[in-house]
Amino acid sequence: MPSPHAAISLRTLFLLFLKIGLSFGAGTGMSAVLQEELVRKRQAIGRGEFMTLYGLARLVPSGSMTALAVAVGYRYQGLLGTLVVLLAMILPAFILTVGLTVAYTLLAGSPALVVMNLTLMPAALAVVAVSAFRLGSEFFTPSLELVLAIAAGVGVLVLGLNPSLLLLAGGLVGACVLRDRSPEDGR
Amino acid sequence: MTLWDMLVQLAVANVLAFGNGTVMAAVLQNTFVQQAHVLTNEQLLYAFALARVTPGQANLYVASIAYMMFGLPGAALSMVVIALPSYLMIPLLRSYEFVRGNRAVRGLTRGLASTAVGLLLATTWSLSKDSLNAPVTWMVLALALTLLVFTRLPTLVSLLLATGAGVGLILTIDATNGGGAFLQSVAALGST
Repeated sequence: MPSPHAAISLRTLFLLFLKIGLSFGAGTGMSAVLQEELVRKRQAIGRGEFMTLYGLARLVPSGSMTALAVAVGYRYQGLLGTLVVLLAMILPAFILTVGLTVAYTLLAGSPALVVMNLTLMPAALAVVAVSAFRLGSEFFTPSLELVLAIAAGVGVLVLGLNPSLLLLAGGLVGACVLRDRSPEDGR
Repeated sequence: MTLWDMLVQLAVANVLAFGNGTVMAAVLQNTFVQQAHVLTNEQLLYAFALARVTPGQANLYVASIAYMMFGLPGAALSMVVIALPSYLMIPLLRSYEFVRGNRAVRGLTRGLASTAVGLLLATTWSLSKDSLNAPVTWMVLALALTLLVFTRLPTLVSLLLATGAGVGLILTIDATNGGGAFLQSVAALGST
């Protein structure tokens, strides 16, 4: 995709993705920051082209934010660019996450961990439940999607089926049956 | 389970879930907690919630559980495994026109996502049987759900408020039970 827009140096890419890696809101929040920086502030890419990259990134079987990062890194600085953006984006949050995991591991066997299991874990459970429902609200009207979700839940809870196989089956059913219901443009 | 096994399992779960950390949780719970017993529900929950309240991608909790199982090398390699499929973007960009017109691909992602929601709710259900073992845990769950659904507070704030209320309640019960018996009261709550 040729473009008349500005070039971005490796150093700028690194700093930009460092900032994105420290943004809150997971993939959605992070891609919003990326869009703001690339499209509006730097005018380094057109909005249409950015949305195309974003749509394609959702089709790649990995996090759509990492896929988007690879696309942007490659567009401006080739393969080296992809390594630089991935490192910049993942490293800060990685250090934070592992640091807090080390802290958790150190608590093992102490009374503090008992209290944590009684208080933090139910709250964490609420976070899991709410993110499941939020993900669902993107897809659910009374429809085949809802049937798939219920079938998957019953399959794993009642029949003890393997979640990976259910996921694969759901994807195949979707590919065969849901194709005509999908909107034309990517989100 | 060896480090290699873990990486293969992570790679499979990541690809199946299209990298969606929330979706992946159901598969990882089954693989590591139920089948291989190399991780506990509590560890998985801690990691999951951690990634939700820290900056960066939601699927970074994979680094957390990989650290719990195989230390720093496990955590670092898990990130490589998770990020690698992103390079499919490069050939995809070249075949863009074909993919854009392919509705089956869209149907596939929708089918995956809806199946995943069902799986995840089922996982939440089985996780809850382990975590909700005392009255105080139900109270914390209810409070956290209320804050997450009905307020616009950031996830971290909701999580800390609910947790804090739980800790407060435990300390209060402890004090009214005659003080000093902190551990005892905790143990009693845990066994209710």
